[in-house]
Amino acid sequence: MAELWEVLSEHLPEFSSGLWVTIRLVAFSFVIAMVVGTLVAALRVAPLGPLNWIGGVFVETFRNTPLLVLLFVSFAGLRRAGVPIDPWVAGTASLGLYTAAYVAEALRSGVFAVGRGQIEASLSLGLDYPRTLRYVVLPQAFRTVIPHLGSLTIAMIKNSAIIGVSLLALPDLLHQARLVNSRTFATNESFFWAAAGYLLLTGLATLAVRRLEARYAIRR
Amino acid sequence: MGGPQGPADELDAARSGIATLARPLVELRDVRKSFGDNVVLTGINLEIERGAALVIAGPSGSGKSTLLRCINGLEPIDSGEIRFEGRPIDYSGKALASLRTEIVMVFQQFNLFPHMTVLDNIVLGPVKAKGVPREEADRRARALLERVGIPEKTDDYPADLSGGQQQRVAIARALAMEPKLMLFDEPTSALDPEMIREVLDVMRDLAREGMTMVVVTHEMGFAREVCDRIVFIDNGEIVEQGPPDEFFRAAQSPRAREFVDKIIHH
Ligand SMILES: Nc1ncnc2c1ncn2[C@@H]1O[C@H](COP(=O)(O)OP(=O)(O)O)[C@@H](O)[C@H]1O
Ligand SMILES: [Mg+2]
Repeated sequence: MAELWEVLSEHLPEFSSGLWVTIRLVAFSFVIAMVVGTLVAALRVAPLGPLNWIGGVFVETFRNTPLLVLLFVSFAGLRRAGVPIDPWVAGTASLGLYTAAYVAEALRSGVFAVGRGQIEASLSLGLDYPRTLRYVVLPQAFRTVIPHLGSLTIAMIKNSAIIGVSLLALPDLLHQARLVNSRTFATNESFFWAAAGYLLLTGLATLAVRRLEARYAIRR
Repeated sequence: MGGPQGPADELDAARSGIATLARPLVELRDVRKSFGDNVVLTGINLEIERGAALVIAGPSGSGKSTLLRCINGLEPIDSGEIRFEGRPIDYSGKALASLRTEIVMVFQQFNLFPHMTVLDNIVLGPVKAKGVPREEADRRARALLERVGIPEKTDDYPADLSGGQQQRVAIARALAMEPKLMLFDEPTSALDPEMIREVLDVMRDLAREGMTMVVVTHEMGFAREVCDRIVFIDNGEIVEQGPPDEFFRAAQSPRAREFVDKIIHH
């Protein structure tokens, strides 16, 4: 027990800087996932075949490729092709786009849960299809899929751990824990604190989702 | 092209303006519509004069909703022609959206937007479809809520309102567009009996103020008291139409007769 606290206090700078890197990774990826996921969902539900197809290709590509492979291709692959890509860009883009595919599918299911009558009411007020999507359909879709988006965000926080131990070697929480472990050989303690850090983030995300749900739930 | 150039042009412009006003607001000529093998409208001819209140009656499944939905372009027609202010309906996206700022619809299930307050429901169309400034739209929305008798509900969500109140908000939302034609699709059919009156009262006032409206309803008391003409539809065709007192007293066709008898005996 004493050893647990000792490892933390002696290596606090590593752990806290690792946590901070993870937070930033997750935050950037989250923004990418939501923005791209929303755009792709809009493509998927657009009343135009070619747009649906583009959205479908995106979703199937990023959902059916292991995250580790995405990281490898976006980093090593591009570098080998002569593109000097930054590990931060490769990491957040990979995690963000990977998650975006799931966000798009979640939103798409939310869009289909919005009743036909809602769309007709909006069209009947002279809103065209894009405006109907923007003001009537997507806001309701978002609200119904908040819990689903919450689980995706939590999965994304956990998935971010792959980035630090992959060849991108960003100094995130798990990366730092491994470093501490290799110096101290206190394996249980090092990874205990890594786990605690991830738990803290997923716990905060859970709370945030609960509050969003309470605030934005649609009562019918 | 500039405006009118000389006296002759001006005269022409005036003539065509008068011609437009003299024509019915909406004209349907031999309108046909099928869903797959199901022929729903079998050649509808109908004129809706400016300021008229029409009631469309008929058994369920006879095509009443489909007819309304064709008039505001929610359903494209298979053949025939629908003219609004003399011009055939243009089914391109932009033209349809602009047509629908002039022809609004009130639905049986209200279809209020559950994620918006009452006020936001009402100003959405004016602000986003017509470009009315937000403050002006707000001001008009409040006045409309006053008019439909629920000024205190401005900031509530639809779920907090009774069915009758929701339908009155839906009517206010439609009125906010300052439409030339209002279509009502069984506006009281989803309401508890004690709330039907409050909605019909609002509609009656609208008709008296000269709003052009087409109302699909089973409320024959309303039809008798308010409308200028009853249009009776069965199996996708107009079987009979005429002023309500005539229709109720002496419907000509057996099908309309049967319909009237059923309603009078219930
Ligand atoms: N979108 C649709 N797709 C297929 N069939 C439809 C659709 N809308 C209506 N119908 C069919 O058209 C017929 C008339 O329906 P409707 O116009 O709703 O009748 P009413 O309003 O008089 O009850 C019915 O047989 C109905 O099943
Ligand atoms: Mg109907």
